[in-house]
Amino acid sequence: MRVAVISGSLATGIRIASEVERLPGVEVVIVDCNVRMWSPLFRWLRELALVLKSFRLARKLWSYASSGKLVILDHPLDESESLERLKSLQCDIGLHAANVIYRQPTIDVFRLGILNSHIGILPEYRGRSVAEWSILYGDPTGVTVFFIDGGIDTGPRIILREFIPPRDCRSVRSLKMKLFGFDAILYRQALEALASNGFRYSHNEVSRGKRYYVMSKIFTKSVENILQAGVVSS
Amino acid sequence: MDLETARSKSARAERQTILHTALLERRAELRQGWRRSITAECLENLDSAAESVKSLLSAQDVFHDWTLAGSHHWMDCQAGLAECLLSIGTGQPTRCWAAVVVPTHVSFVAFKKLSSKDRVATLSLRYRCPLNIGGEGESEIAEELLRQLMVTDRVKLKTGAEFDVDDILLKLNLVAVAAPFKRDLRFLDALNCFYELPPRSLSRLRRNPRLLAAWLCLYAQLLCAPGW
Repeated sequence: MRVAVISGSLATGIRIASEVERLPGVEVVIVDCNVRMWSPLFRWLRELALVLKSFRLARKLWSYASSGKLVILDHPLDESESLERLKSLQCDIGLHAANVIYRQPTIDVFRLGILNSHIGILPEYRGRSVAEWSILYGDPTGVTVFFIDGGIDTGPRIILREFIPPRDCRSVRSLKMKLFGFDAILYRQALEALASNGFRYSHNEVSRGKRYYVMSKIFTKSVENILQAGVVSS
Repeated sequence: MDLETARSKSARAERQTILHTALLERRAELRQGWRRSITAECLENLDSAAESVKSLLSAQDVFHDWTLAGSHHWMDCQAGLAECLLSIGTGQPTRCWAAVVVPTHVSFVAFKKLSSKDRVATLSLRYRCPLNIGGEGESEIAEELLRQLMVTDRVKLKTGAEFDVDDILLKLNLVAVAAPFKRDLRFLDALNCFYELPPRSLSRLRRNPRLLAAWLCLYAQLLCAPGW
C-alpha cells in the first residue's frame, strides 16, 4: 500500500510517516504543502527551525529526502501542477495533516481516497470546535478516522472511532492537543484495519448528527470551567 | 438509582449550572453595555418602540417565552416582520393567528443560491410572522441561516468586508427566534459569536436600528431562558 502524508509542515509529516511506515507492506511519501503560501525564505526558515530542534527529526528528514520520499509542493494543492505531481506518486491513500479543504480532483488522485483524523465522534459531531461541543453536551470525546468527501465531515466511510476521555485536561487547548496527538497512531491503526481480511466500513450517517461551528468565547470559557470541575463523560 | 446514573445526573446538573452562570454574566454585561450598540440616535429611529427596548435591555433577567404563541400551525400576523420581531424581542403581545393559506414549501437548494437582496425579500415575505421559523418544516432553512451566519457572515464582519446589513440582521433575528423552539445551543451560540465581534464591526449594524434593537432584545431574553 502506497501512502502519502499530506502535511502542512515537515515536522508533522515526519512524525506521522514514521509511525505509519512501521506497518509491513506500507510505503510512505511525505507531501509538504505550502498551505499559507508563505514566501520561500520564511517557509524554509520556519520548516528548518521546527525540524532542527530535534536531532532525530533532522536525521529522519535527511533519510526521507535522500530516498526520494519527500515531495515539496510550491503551488496550492488544487492547482494543476500540484495535481500532476500527486498523480505521478500513484498513491492508494492520502493522510490529511495540513490545514486545507480538499476539492474533489485532489481526493480523486488517491485510489482509495484521503483519510482524516477528526477530533470528534462521527456521525454525531461534524464541523468545528467539536471537542468543546462534546464537553458542553456531556458527551464522550474522541477521534474518528474516515475517508473525506467534498462536504464537511460527511464522507460516508468510517474506518475507526476511538473514544478518548479528557482525563487530566484542564483547558480546551490541552484537550485539543491531546486529541490531535493521536493522529499518527490512529492513522496506523486505520491502515492496519483497512488491510485486514473482512474489514467493513461503518457508515457515517449524516442525519444522525449535526454540523457545529466555531464556539464563542463565553461557551469556550464554560467548557474550560467544566473541564476544571471534572464533570465530563469518562 | 445506581451510582453511575447518580454521578452522571449530578455532573449534568453541574454543567448546567456552569452554563447558566455564564449566560447570566453575559446578560449583566449586556445590561450595562447595550447603549454602546444602540446609540441615542438609533433609539430616536425606533419611535414608539424605543421605551420598550430601553426597558427590556435595562430590566432584570426576564424571558417571555414566545414558543407558547406558535408554531404548530403556520401563523399570520398583521404587522410587518421588523415590527413583529420588535414585539417579540421586547416581550409585547404579538397579534398572530393560524393562517388560512399556508405558503408553498421553499426549495432549500434554490434558497441557498439566492443573492442577499433576494434572500431578504424571500425571508421578509415568508416569515412575516417570524414565529414560523420555529416550525419543524422550516428546519432546513433555519439550519442554512445558521450556516451562513457562522461560515460567511461572521468572517465578513470580522474582516471589515462589505456585507448586506439587512440580510445579516434578518438572519440573526430569525436564528434568535428559532433558538428556543430548537433548544439547540448552536443557535444561541451564533448570537454569542456575533455579540463578541469587535465593537467596530457591530457598529456597522446600526444602519438598521430596528432590526439591531430587535436582535439585541431577543438575545437578552434568550440569555435568561430556562432549560439550556
